[in-house]
This record gives sequence, structure tokens and C-alpha cells, in this order.
Amino acid sequence: MTPTDDLISALAANLRPVRRLRPPLLRATGFLLLAALILAMIALVHGWRPGLLVRLAEIRFALSLAGALLTGVLAAVAAFLVSLPGRSRHWLWLPIPSLALWLFSIGYQCLSFWTPMASEGASPGETASCIATLVLTSLPLSLALALMLRHAASFNPAPVIFAASLSVAGITAAALTLFHPLDASVEILMFNLGTGLLIMLSGAAINMFLSRRAEMPE
Amino acid sequence: MTTKPVLKLVRGAAAPSPQVRELDWSILMARAQDGDANAYRRLLESITPYLRAHASRCHRNPSDVEDAVQDILLTLHAVRATYDPARPFGPWLTAIARRRLIDRLRRQGRRRVFETEFEPAHETFADPPANFEDMTDIHKIAAALDRLPPAQREALRLTKIEGLSLKEASAASGMSVAALKVATHRAVERLRRFFSGGSES
Repeated sequence: MTPTDDLISALAANLRPVRRLRPPLLRATGFLLLAALILAMIALVHGWRPGLLVRLAEIRFALSLAGALLTGVLAAVAAFLVSLPGRSRHWLWLPIPSLALWLFSIGYQCLSFWTPMASEGASPGETASCIATLVLTSLPLSLALALMLRHAASFNPAPVIFAASLSVAGITAAALTLFHPLDASVEILMFNLGTGLLIMLSGAAINMFLSRRAEMPE
Repeated sequence: MTTKPVLKLVRGAAAPSPQVRELDWSILMARAQDGDANAYRRLLESITPYLRAHASRCHRNPSDVEDAVQDILLTLHAVRATYDPARPFGPWLTAIARRRLIDRLRRQGRRRVFETEFEPAHETFADPPANFEDMTDIHKIAAALDRLPPAQREALRLTKIEGLSLKEASAASGMSVAALKVATHRAVERLRRFFSGGSES
């Protein structure tokens, strides 16, 4: 009896029935419905930004909004597909064109932070409610994605975390554009991808620490 | 299910194609997801040789291969809910196996940076007989020592070879310190003459 046979016996003996995951596109749709629900609730409570319809006629504004939304949607689809073993990793390319569109449309105002905008009509109260929108959108969405994609942790976490943070960033930025007369796309993108990177790095650190502990049991 | 697939465990040999048994595996996995422990055991036993062949292309050491196989089996167990019976089993299994093997190789690479491999040379130099072998004229020295008078040989052995102090050597041999000094001196003189080619008489 080799240890591998023992392991097989142990795994079979402790087998519990599992519920198969639903198809990835269905699950991505579920997640996006949740995102839509959150946006609708914010719209209900907070209301659209002043002059939204006028701004939507501007091509640059419309492109930026569409790019952010599309990035959010496609990155979510990519995350759900890539999280499954045996699916092509090329799905990660899916959100790239819309990301390019989004980045292109916000490129001209790179890193213009919120403070200078205050003189143009955004009051300090507006900034606070803007941050509230950010937190209310990105936090539940991130938690939902982390819960729905947790099976990827033991398979291949890095690309899934990347796609998931991109998706949350896109949706959050779209929410901000819809509800507030501010544009913080670059900050949101940096913040969300930075958080994703932080999660990956801490995961790698914990992994290294644990494997070292496992190899040198003192 | 009773016949085991033929395997080549030669390094560099191609892993056997899983296609033949893929349908069986797919059915077994679907049953295992519903909680059929027997089907699960049969599935794991039947994919293990395939995984072993895969792993032996990355690892030379048999215990490393076995560790890798167990690593893959544990991951498969953790993500078994992600298998969709409508899709082929092979790519699903191969993706998990490849992921784990790559992770292992990376970790091994990181570890090797801090380690020095223990080569045969290290062992040889640490071994005392190995070092004596290097002295080509050890037999000559032994012969020269044999020719010394017994008192001188004893004095030389105690003070020079065993490294005792004169007091300790005197206590051990019963000779006085002065006698030991003289005997040792004469013995060294004699050996020196012997090795410089002069006659010892």
C-alpha cells in the first residue's frame, strides 16, 4: 500500500456529494444582475447626476461610459470562464478591447484628482457621497465575486483575481460616471487592480510561508 | 476496469493519451459528484497511472513524482464541483495536473537557490580513509616506524601521533619526561635520515 493508495482511500471514504457549478455564462449573468440591482438602488436613493442626458450626447463621455461598462461585463465573463479548469486562458483577452476604449477615452484627463474639481461645483459633501457610491458598489461586488469564484483559489487564482478586479473596477467607474459629476476612472482602476495585486501577493506570501513550515517541521 | 493501462515511466516519454478512457472517467466523475464513493475510488485509481506518467516527465526522484500525484489528487478533490459532465474529462484533468506541476517546479526552483547539492565529492573528502589514501607513501611511513627501537617508537606515538603532552605521555608510558624528550628527538632524527635517503644505522 503506497501513501497514494492511502490518500485515494481517504478521499473516497470522506466523499460528500457536491452541487455542480452552473454554466459560467449563467453565473456571470447572475453576478451582473446583482451589479445592476445595486446600481438601480443607488439611482433610486441618490438620483442620476445632473445633466446626464446632455452629457450622454457627448461622444467622449458616452465612449468612456460604454467602455467602463463593457469592461465590467466582459471581465466578469472572463473571470467565470478562466476560473474553470480546462477552459482556454485566452478568454482573458475578452475585456482587453473595451478596456483599451475606456483607457483611451479617459487618457486625456489622467490623474486629475478630485480636489481641483471642487471649484467647478462639486462640494465637499458631493465628494463624500461619491466615496459612499464607490464603497457601496465595489465592496458588495468584490465580496460576491470572491464568494462565487472561491473554487479558483486552489486551482489557478492569479488570472481570476485579475479579471475579477478589472470587472469590479469597470462597474464601479460606470456607477460613478452615472451618479456624480466627477471622473475618477484612473483612480478606481488603479485602486481595484492594486487591491487585486495585494491579494495575489499576500496569497503568494502565505503560500511560501506555509510551504516552508510544512517542509521544516520543527 | 481491471486491466491497468500500459505505462512508460521513462523520462521524456510521452504520457499515454487519456482519450480511450475519457468517457469512463467522465461518467465516474459525474457519479462521484453525486456522492458515489465507489465510483470515485475507481476513478482516482484509474487516473493515478496517467498522472504518474505526467509527473515523471517533470520529476526524476520517485518520491517527488508520488508527492506531485498526491498534490494533483488533492486539488482535484477540492475543485471537483467545477467539472461539467457535458464536457470532456481529459482537458479538465490535464489543466489541474499541469497547474500543480508548474507550481511545484517553481517552488522547487525557488528552494534550490538557497541550497547546495550534496555531491559525492563532499562525502569523499569528509571520510577519513579517503584522506589517507591520498598520502602515497603511507606504507613507507609505517615501515619506517616499524624499524624504530620500541622505546623510541612508543615515545613518538604518544607525543607526536596521539598528541599527548609530555606529562601525560610520561604517565602513560612510565618513562620520565627527560627520557621521553630524548627518545622522541632521536626517533625524529632517525626518521628524517631515513626519508632523506641516508642510511639509518
